[in-house]
Amino acid sequence: MRYSLSLIAGLLVTGQTTGAQTIAITHAKAWTLTSPDPVENATVVISDGKIASVTSGGAAPAKARLIDAKGRPVTPGLVHAATHLGLLEVSNATETVDSGIKSGILGAAFDVQYGINANSTLIQLARADGVSRAITYPAHSGVAPFSGSGVLLRLTDSSELVERAPIGVFAVIGGRSSSDAGGSRAAEWKLLRVALDAAKVGLAAPPSPTTRTPEFLALEPVLAGKIPLAISVNRESDIRQAIKLGTDYSLKIVIIGGAEGWRAADALAAAKIPVILDPEANLPAGFDELGARLDNAALLHRAGVTVAVVVVANGIHQSYNAGLSMREGAGLAVANGLPYIIGLKSITLAPAQIWGMADRCGTIASGSDADVVIWDGDPLEPSTLPVTVLIAGKEMSLVTHQTELRDRYLPKAGLKAQRP
Amino acid sequence: MNTNRRGFLTVLALVVTAAAAPGAALSAAATEPATRIALPFAVDPYPSTYQHLPRSDTLIRGAIVLDGAGQRIDNADVLLRDGKITAVGHGLSAANATVIDARGRWVTPGIIDVHSHDGVFSIPYTSGDLESSDVAELSDPNAADTWVEHAVNPQDPAFPVALRSGVTTLQILPGSTPLFSGRSVIVKPVPAADVRAMKFPGASQGLKMACGENPKSYFGEKGRAPNSRQGEIALVREAFLKAKEYLQGWRDYESGARAAPPDRDLKLDTLAGVLTGDIAVHMHCYRSGDMTTMLGVAAEFGFTIRAFRHATEAYKIVPQLKSAGTCVAVWSDWWGFKMELEDAIRENAAIVDAAGGCVMMHSDSAIVGQRLAIEAAKAAAVGRRAGLNLPPERIIRWVTSTPAKALGLEDRIGTIAPGRNADVVIWSGNPFSIYTRADQVFIDGAMLYDRSNPRTVQEPDLLLGRP
Repeated sequence: MRYSLSLIAGLLVTGQTTGAQTIAITHAKAWTLTSPDPVENATVVISDGKIASVTSGGAAPAKARLIDAKGRPVTPGLVHAATHLGLLEVSNATETVDSGIKSGILGAAFDVQYGINANSTLIQLARADGVSRAITYPAHSGVAPFSGSGVLLRLTDSSELVERAPIGVFAVIGGRSSSDAGGSRAAEWKLLRVALDAAKVGLAAPPSPTTRTPEFLALEPVLAGKIPLAISVNRESDIRQAIKLGTDYSLKIVIIGGAEGWRAADALAAAKIPVILDPEANLPAGFDELGARLDNAALLHRAGVTVAVVVVANGIHQSYNAGLSMREGAGLAVANGLPYIIGLKSITLAPAQIWGMADRCGTIASGSDADVVIWDGDPLEPSTLPVTVLIAGKEMSLVTHQTELRDRYLPKAGLKAQRP
Repeated sequence: MNTNRRGFLTVLALVVTAAAAPGAALSAAATEPATRIALPFAVDPYPSTYQHLPRSDTLIRGAIVLDGAGQRIDNADVLLRDGKITAVGHGLSAANATVIDARGRWVTPGIIDVHSHDGVFSIPYTSGDLESSDVAELSDPNAADTWVEHAVNPQDPAFPVALRSGVTTLQILPGSTPLFSGRSVIVKPVPAADVRAMKFPGASQGLKMACGENPKSYFGEKGRAPNSRQGEIALVREAFLKAKEYLQGWRDYESGARAAPPDRDLKLDTLAGVLTGDIAVHMHCYRSGDMTTMLGVAAEFGFTIRAFRHATEAYKIVPQLKSAGTCVAVWSDWWGFKMELEDAIRENAAIVDAAGGCVMMHSDSAIVGQRLAIEAAKAAAVGRRAGLNLPPERIIRWVTSTPAKALGLEDRIGTIAPGRNADVVIWSGNPFSIYTRADQVFIDGAMLYDRSNPRTVQEPDLLLGRP
């Protein structure tokens, strides 16, 4: 057996790249996601960190740095719809975990933006796996019903990743969390309503410490419909309660989980409530998920619900393998009836739409951010790998803790090292 | 230890043939002059009652066959007759066989999940965790006396899901909190109300052991031993010292050197089985240093560790693993959630395989267990990027013949070859693609799942009649 260097040499270009540079990706199979089919033999021109143009067979600008995609698929950078990236390093080493709070008065005002670690190895790997944006949200707290406020990260290689904060307020409701509300999910829903009512009253009153509590202020953009209230629920009854809550308070609701979403698909579609779901969740893992099934995504889509895909896997993939797992999950959803293009959107454009940033990302269109990934095969196949990752028009390093270990130990196993 | 081992094996083999008659094995000594008495702890008091399901002879035609032994045979036919694979080749014909046109489809041996907790980490998980999770007995770091089969819930909805995913054999292991976590059981995911009806006839048991963070953190936090890695090793050595003595007692009784047998001790029974080589050790370890330390302990007491589980740093110690003859069962990409997983890399399996080590994929999860071929596909993809040659016919071994070897069942399952059990999957396409589904799944020649007829797999009892 030969261990030859097969590393995408044709695609690596030496020299520092910056977002200001003009780049032309040529010979791409460009999934722009602005139409159902890819642009074949596409030339994607990137300038000043933005997509300048996408044309089939188009000429590259004279001074552009060329990246020959050699017919490979090109997609927008992946957008992770719900992760804890940047908030944890080693989940059983609690001092490295900042994703949630067990106690305290913050409630909805717990804001993860102050805890983001740009140097996390999880972020490094997610970026190398093609994730350009991620919604990082607080984990279930011990203080019902809110987990806190989440943020939008842009995974550039800079030290400042927070792009928008808050991106939403998060709550968890169901059989596993009800003990925090005294032992009933009915109490969780009531606490949520009480909190929203109190915030409404307080915010309408003249400013004072009691009318502008941290929680009231955190709920203000939610009540104004500016950011969503994202509720993690799985049981049909809770999904329907979430729909009702949204109607009663005129809120933007996002469902996370939604294992039994297919049972309320028409109601979700009518209420324009999107679902961020895990296509791998097909087992009756608990009594809230007895109706879990592999074609949940397909059924929801068919009913008209916007679907974004994340894979949780006991919390491991959701953050540790954020990029790879969401592609595998989308592929699995496609294998179970979701149209291919919707599968691609479920990890790019759909999360961008759900979180209100589709004007900037999730497509390869003139004027959108130049977050682009070249893949060595079908991006929904988990065995496919990214070849080139551009974020804000800049080529990202694919070197990680893991690749460094690989290259250190390959020779010790008697194999040839692959580093160029 | 060799002659002892032979005697032990003979007894076990007789238990196998007399599987339907529990207790009969004790008369085995009559046919083995070298052995005066049977070693009672080698007898399975709960033998399999598995019966194959209704089957007809089947000729699968025109498939792309990955035989599990390293070969890819295009446009090949496979004949299943009387529950066995009887022929693999081109242009086969068979009278009275049901013919399945598999042109354009792929055929592999049934997938083997060597590391499952199905039936003991039984779903649905509830807050009555003590009732729903029987994954391990946690009252003592030495639970070598526990047999996981005594806890397996055959009604776990994970079993039919595994079957639909092409899994035809599972080893159910207890969890990795105790140092000695208990004996494993090998089952077929067939509908049953009784675990004995799922047990793989004649399969020997394994012993799950654990090293590293799990035992010391769990027992240490309770103020008990072990609370350190060295404490773990001390307890393991102490237990094997006692087991050696115990085994010698039985040997002396066997040879007539002592009049009365030793008092039965269920923990030492299991460890004695390890020392004779009849119970395979499946050891949960992550760090390279933990694994090499355990290899040292195994060498000290004269047994082989069949496989390390998880083994996220196996890529650092391939030569040591090779010289010990120890395999590793790994995930493709789990990492980071504990300190001892910090150095997990996706190329782990590929590096071990390319360097001549023995590697297989495992699930540890009812979710991952539905996509073991995808685990192999992911692990191979990064290997190829590192320049390693890992074609489909090579990596299918990671989920078929290699786990069969790790279970000591390589002469019965894990390859498509004449004489092997007719455990076969017809896939809708390349099994390493996420879009591919298992179309038909055969166990012992019986088609237990046919995707075109979903009624071939029953709804789990749990879900029956629910809205």
